[in-house]
Amino acid sequence: MNGIEFILANMLAAATPFLLAALGELVVERSGVLNLGIEGIMALGAVIAFIIVYHGGSHAVAFLGAGFAGACLSLIFGVLALGFRANQVAVGLAIGILGQGLSALIGNSYEALTVTGLSKITLPGLSSIPVIGGLFTQDAIVWLSLVATLAVWGMFRFTRLGLVIRAVGENPKAAHAIGYPVIALRYGAILFGGAMAGLAGAYAATVYTPLWADGMIAGRGWIALALVVFGTWMTGRVFFGALLFGAVSLGGLAAQAQAVPLNSQLLSSLPYIVTIVVLGIISSNRRLLKINGVASLGEPYER
Amino acid sequence: MIDRRTFLQTTALGAIAAAIGARAHAAEPLGIALILPSPNGDVGWSHSLVAGLDPVKAAYGDAVKITIVENIPEGPDADRIMNKAVADGNKVLIAGSFGYQNGAMQIAKRDPSVTVLHASGFMVAPNFSPFAAKYFQGTYLMGMAAAALSKSGKLGSVSAFAIPELITSINAFTLGAQAVNPNIEVSVVWVNSWFDPAKEQEAAKALLAQGCDVIFSNAQDTPSVISVCEEAGVPSFNLNSSMKSYAPKTYLGCVATDWSPFFKASVDAHVAGTFQGANAFLGVADKVVEVVDWSPNVPADLMAKIKEVEATIADGSFSPFTGPITKADGSEGVAAGTTLTDDQIVAMDWHVKGVATPLPQ
Repeated sequence: MNGIEFILANMLAAATPFLLAALGELVVERSGVLNLGIEGIMALGAVIAFIIVYHGGSHAVAFLGAGFAGACLSLIFGVLALGFRANQVAVGLAIGILGQGLSALIGNSYEALTVTGLSKITLPGLSSIPVIGGLFTQDAIVWLSLVATLAVWGMFRFTRLGLVIRAVGENPKAAHAIGYPVIALRYGAILFGGAMAGLAGAYAATVYTPLWADGMIAGRGWIALALVVFGTWMTGRVFFGALLFGAVSLGGLAAQAQAVPLNSQLLSSLPYIVTIVVLGIISSNRRLLKINGVASLGEPYER
Repeated sequence: MIDRRTFLQTTALGAIAAAIGARAHAAEPLGIALILPSPNGDVGWSHSLVAGLDPVKAAYGDAVKITIVENIPEGPDADRIMNKAVADGNKVLIAGSFGYQNGAMQIAKRDPSVTVLHASGFMVAPNFSPFAAKYFQGTYLMGMAAAALSKSGKLGSVSAFAIPELITSINAFTLGAQAVNPNIEVSVVWVNSWFDPAKEQEAAKALLAQGCDVIFSNAQDTPSVISVCEEAGVPSFNLNSSMKSYAPKTYLGCVATDWSPFFKASVDAHVAGTFQGANAFLGVADKVVEVVDWSPNVPADLMAKIKEVEATIADGSFSPFTGPITKADGSEGVAAGTTLTDDQIVAMDWHVKGVATPLPQ
């Protein structure tokens, strides 16, 4: 297996934690709310899912549990940010810290334990193609996250719900005036975003790595947040960004393993640089940015 | 810069600490505080430090009171917690991470009655000893075994940061492997992070994809790399504490660190009032570094040879860094007939010939 095959075979799985979390945050931000607590919500989802699998629960139950835990934690954010109209940046950061602290507390006696991940599904025919066959040999969650990407894209593109969420994010007063329940919709978006972040954490702890260690999310929640902004709140670009980030970081590791004479610190920072530059270039159209930007992002809504 | 306010604060704190300390000395057991950079799991660096205190506990019983504070990030938080530990009457402070150095040194200077043991630093004071392990003595032996088990002639290492302690481990691993198979090649992936289990696993998979068939997990505190290798059926080993339970089929062994001889001797000296701070760079001879849980797959004749080399390392007649050694760039690293001193080893910033991956600058 050479470097290219290695990257192709692993980039989808590497991108999945970013993708799941970023899709959730995309919906949250489209509705006009900024939840900076993703990192902590992912950590909580990770530890809950890990404990369930460790005690013999199935991955399906673990993902449900992690999604539920993520939604619960984001509900606290929702109550503070929407109910009490607190500053969303401050509340989001606080929820993030709370999530990390909670995960450390709950996972204390599970530190550095491992579980068995999900087996990969081989697609007859496709998986045996030379070089690119690895791309079609993935675990079930990777395929489901691709389905989720399509679903979120389709929702914003074709459905009334998608348009209403965008309207609420764009101009909540106008949306309210024509009869849409702004606060209820924002709660819904926040719960969805929290559940997705929980799933992202569950994937990291029970499928991708699969072990629990305090701090194992290691900044992935922040990268997901950045992907949403650099992807200019468009599903396709967020997906592309997550995939690019995953592929370039794997590429850096493969280059080192192949003894390519490049500085390893440069290779480690390459995913960030490449993702920012590429998404920056494709998002440099000011008119598009203005159309896609969320006008009321982070502003508390008062009726 | 010390302004008047911090001066007053530290003086007041010092006075309180001294008062409490004096009172504690009269009736209370000897307080030992251990500050850890990561959570104390079943394996890893923090675990090895905690386990190192067991013989102290066994020897002194109720006469010592051990306080363990885990998962303390390096920085102001650590200083605060170490100050509190001393103010609470602890007289022996074990600072378990390099980044605690300055805060721990301040405490040692302020209060001469406190004995400080500091992991992997370079500062020394009469009541302050830095301690580090000669991992390279163990990784040399591992290299010998790895070369015999490798079919591809390519070995790999997932490593945290390119600092001398890790570089020497890789170099000695390579030299040990070359002692068995001169054509062996070692690839290194620097993840540039002390802690990112997911990235460590990606790095291990990248090495496996390149055909490396023995993997050295260099300074990872979780079994991330070891468990990937077990899944791939490839032998792997790590430092500090055994992870055999994570790789029952393929585990090659562990370059284990046992800090108990050092901790016990230091506490004994503190109690006797004879403690003298010194740079403690400890290895096989000090019974601090030892290879444990050797794989049964290592051929018996090689194993006998490895044990011979281990004995010569222990009695000081052999060092892995004995010339002639060529650097990766082709220049002379160690001249024939000379051996690197401890000071040269702790400052090593070059790879030996046979390490394929260039060293980050």
